[in-house]
Amino acid sequence: MLKLENISRKFGDFALSGINLEVADGEYFVLLGRSGSGKTCLLELIAGLHIPDSGSVWIDRHDITHSRIQDRPVGLVFQDFAIFPNMTVSGNIGYPLRSRRRKKEEISATVDAIAAEMGISSILDRYPHNLSAGELQRVALARTLVLNPRLLLLDEPMSSVDASLKDDIKKVLRRLNRNGLSIIHVTHDYREAVSLAGRVGVIHAGRIVQEGTPGSVFSRPANRFVARYAGIKNFFKVRFLRENNMWKAIGEGNLTFSISGRETAGEGLIFVRSENIIVSASKPAPGTDNCFRGIVKEIFPSEYGIEITVDAGMLFVADISVADFGLLSIRESSEVWITFSAGAAVAIDGTDPDIQTRDRI
Amino acid sequence: MKSSPFSWIMLILSSLVLLFIIAPLAGIFLNTNGSQLIETVNDREVRESIRLTLLVAFAATFLFAFAAIPLAWILARKDFPLKGVVQGIIDLPVVIPHTAAGIAILGFISRDGFLGGIAGSVGLSLINNPAGIALAMAFVSLPFLINSARDGFASVPVRLEKAALTLGASPSRVFFTISLPLAWRSVMTGFVMMFARGMSEFGAVVIVAYHPMIAPVMIYERFNNFGLDYARPVSVLFITVALAVFILLRLVSLKKKDSHNTADAET
Repeated sequence: MLKLENISRKFGDFALSGINLEVADGEYFVLLGRSGSGKTCLLELIAGLHIPDSGSVWIDRHDITHSRIQDRPVGLVFQDFAIFPNMTVSGNIGYPLRSRRRKKEEISATVDAIAAEMGISSILDRYPHNLSAGELQRVALARTLVLNPRLLLLDEPMSSVDASLKDDIKKVLRRLNRNGLSIIHVTHDYREAVSLAGRVGVIHAGRIVQEGTPGSVFSRPANRFVARYAGIKNFFKVRFLRENNMWKAIGEGNLTFSISGRETAGEGLIFVRSENIIVSASKPAPGTDNCFRGIVKEIFPSEYGIEITVDAGMLFVADISVADFGLLSIRESSEVWITFSAGAAVAIDGTDPDIQTRDRI
Repeated sequence: MKSSPFSWIMLILSSLVLLFIIAPLAGIFLNTNGSQLIETVNDREVRESIRLTLLVAFAATFLFAFAAIPLAWILARKDFPLKGVVQGIIDLPVVIPHTAAGIAILGFISRDGFLGGIAGSVGLSLINNPAGIALAMAFVSLPFLINSARDGFASVPVRLEKAALTLGASPSRVFFTISLPLAWRSVMTGFVMMFARGMSEFGAVVIVAYHPMIAPVMIYERFNNFGLDYARPVSVLFITVALAVFILLRLVSLKKKDSHNTADAET
């Protein structure tokens, strides 16, 4: 339903360049990127707040590149919600309808209905300055949805609400999407992408560097930048070579990795997800892939359990469950063995000069 | 404040400045007795001149606001070549001597001048006319309104205006429903400042119109012809009326803000 064709737009010393993107009807698309990557600019461009220097924007086979903002069937919810402080909640929600000169009775009926749907009927007469972030967000959503947009654009919708409210908001967004609304959701947090997206795009320095299903993007990141986004902590600069019909990767200190999925020799990167690294206190059976002896450097509680940093010539980060950690009985400076399968060591292209230079920013 | 020598010095210097403002004003009130004041209040000429001053200053502010507020909005929101020069031009009336401003206005509105010529063609003389007085007042006081309103518009978050646009509002609707209401307090402050400045103008007005006599000109005339004792009661009366109007307008504009957008500070 939405199609961006080769969009470029300069903003001072920043630019969106060569953006191609398609979002299907009813799709939930999550655009991942750091602050300053251009994700907000891209949303504003779709909404019509910026006109591209070149390229075109299509919705339902209509070219809307130069359409007026108010004529686009698109709703944008700003990161800080942009609730008008000089109007009550009901004034805010009714604002788009008043702009379209709808009848008074129709406006109040529509506002009441959407407020009920969003669970904010009780605050309709209040001014925004003493509402919570969660309430403001629902007001912003209601205000945007009141015009029945074909496409909903969300700028970091989870960033200003408490952790406890995030699940509520996710439920609301999933329900809207299930009812057929196409959504583009912009965030810097890959976990939001995992839990909501049908498809993900990663944007960096004004370009979309990879897109696909969350599964494909996060298990096969195109480069180190995307891998970072997937929450991957173990990266190793390596040299690939072929030995006895098997691909190997040689890292610092001559650490040799068995890997999968590599077809060319030369310099590159491999990554290993921290949850795929197994830590054991005794030496594993011989013949195990990627088995290294090391010293425990740090032990931290983490989101998934316990995060252990092991120095085995290179620093490895492993995430293990609290229960497994209890069985291990290890401390900082204990000697341990770490292992991971060849399949868990994924080779990615680290020599893309474009990515490397931008990564340094 | 802690009583270190530094804070004592700051306190003493501040008090001196305040005293310098208060003492002459207090003096003028204390040196005026009741009977003089009653006599002045009963003087039709004085009452008429104060009424004229307030009326013309208000009319000048009100009429010029229609063009000054859009200019303030453009200065706050748009970038264009030579914006700095335009900003400098707006501040010019504040820096040039007001008698010189009066001379300039006089040239503009005299029969051979641009505006005077137009007015003359419909049989109107702007010299010694309230319309001329209003122009002189506006000339010297406009920067106060423009600058204050510009700061007000600049402080309105651009996001709110963008949000309104994406919600289907036309640019003019965004201006009247979002920008102007949220900048309202600064616009009102500018309005009051322009009004106050116009009302107290002497230099520019006296050159454009000695008659009809506005209060500052009348105070000068009484002083010149009859001396301090005669100028003082008129001054006291005018100061009192001006203060009352000033406080009233301030209250009105602040009240508007309270009921309107106390959330300003939070956004």
